[in-house]
Amino acid sequence: MATLIAENISYSYHTNQKLALNKVSLEINPGTMTALLGPNGAGKSTLLKILQGQSKPDKGYITIDGEELLKSSSKVALMPQRSSMNWKFPITVEKLVSLGQIEHSKSKNSSPFQLKALLANPKGWVNKCCELEAALQRVGISKLAKRRLDSLSGGQQQRALLAKTLMSPAKIFLLDEPCAALDPPAKEEFLRIARQLADTGSSVFISSHDWGSSLGNYDKVVVLDQRVIAKGTPASIREKLEDLNINSINGKSVCD
Amino acid sequence: MSFLNNNWWLLPLIVTAFTGILCPAMGTVLITHKRLLQVNLMSHCVLPGLALAMALGIHPSIGGVISGVLGALIAESLTSRKSENYEAVMNTILAGMLGFGVLLIPLLGIRIDLEAVLFGDLLTANFGDLLRNLIAFFMFTSLMVFGYEKIIYVGLDPEGASASGIQVNVLNIILSFTTALVIVSSMSAVGVILVIALLSTPTLLGVSKAPSLWVAMLKSSIYGLVISLLGFALSMIFNLSPGPAISVLCVISLVFLKDRK
Repeated sequence: MATLIAENISYSYHTNQKLALNKVSLEINPGTMTALLGPNGAGKSTLLKILQGQSKPDKGYITIDGEELLKSSSKVALMPQRSSMNWKFPITVEKLVSLGQIEHSKSKNSSPFQLKALLANPKGWVNKCCELEAALQRVGISKLAKRRLDSLSGGQQQRALLAKTLMSPAKIFLLDEPCAALDPPAKEEFLRIARQLADTGSSVFISSHDWGSSLGNYDKVVVLDQRVIAKGTPASIREKLEDLNINSINGKSVCD
Repeated sequence: MSFLNNNWWLLPLIVTAFTGILCPAMGTVLITHKRLLQVNLMSHCVLPGLALAMALGIHPSIGGVISGVLGALIAESLTSRKSENYEAVMNTILAGMLGFGVLLIPLLGIRIDLEAVLFGDLLTANFGDLLRNLIAFFMFTSLMVFGYEKIIYVGLDPEGASASGIQVNVLNIILSFTTALVIVSSMSAVGVILVIALLSTPTLLGVSKAPSLWVAMLKSSIYGLVISLLGFALSMIFNLSPGPAISVLCVISLVFLKDRK
């Protein structure tokens, strides 16, 4: 279990100096599923990269259980946005999921046949196989392990990507628009798996465009547009936005 | 040695086989990394290096590899793959470097058989060509043995790979260097221009439905070997130029690519 606290995070893009995040403060608690909502260009992906330690904020600080993020970045795992992946790459589901181990072990052993790894540490190798099987089972795609990634549906691909993220020892999972381009049943299934993950004590932080009925799946909602516009329970956020009669933030539709 | 001297066709045949195996294997990595346009650029960029190396009395292959890698680095520094002008910038540099190379030949007062460099002269292949093939083969094999997992990760998710501590830029430079070696080593067989066909067509055939990168490389290499040996045989029987014959066979083999659309 781990609590992440971000205080006054500000960030400008290095290419054009445009302000992406302005004094963003938030808290991610164990066992909760939080939605990060905002229109395109609100800074959601940038914030997630900062919370994972991929990018450094210009101002502000992030702690996990009181420790600096740099010292405990292994406690945070990021599932990337769908568009950043090359889905046509010739790879099976189980191989994709096994790459999740590289992120944390930073294994120097990269033989295509893994013979060296097996001989050097047979027990560790067996454990890794078990972890892989467990990750596949958690997202319900064990039977698809030998299938090529591009032969899966969009929803199955997202679950495979989540399984890869679950290979890390992290307790805080940041998921960047995992439900984008999924049909409603696939979206519901994905959020059900994310809920199970939160119920085991992990923190799940999901960026999304979806202001519709699926908002009820979350414990908390943070509305972002460069700064935090609102945060609270899904019901309170709906009320706030209705009171303010907000259909768009800074001219950008919130329902795209 | 006397056996090779008595069978003059054997050395060109071995060079053809090496080229037919190596180019598609390299092409598989490059296509899955979406770097084929960069290969096209590099194949055109080797000419100025060849000309300068000859003028300076250095082995032309060394100059070709250096200018090929330099061309790729210049292109990368001028544009990024996310830019909408990427393809236009790459094609401009490609044309400019080729033009620069052609201009250098008379300016430096050197003699280069331009047709042989661009389109290959396989029947004159010698032990130097075979040695270049072996060096490129060794470099490529080393890259695969020591960097296979990293190559997969970078091809699949470059941002994620970078976040996990993989030196993506360093890996890309090594890939560029190996690509330049493969291009230069294939010069005698199919020429620097037609090497594009061997880097891409067998790969398109091999990568389809392959469950992993190494299976895709293996399948591509088998297709490449068959196409190259067939091209070699046809050029011997009908007295054709081997490079263009192999390239035409590559185009014909596209017919067998079921999901080309």
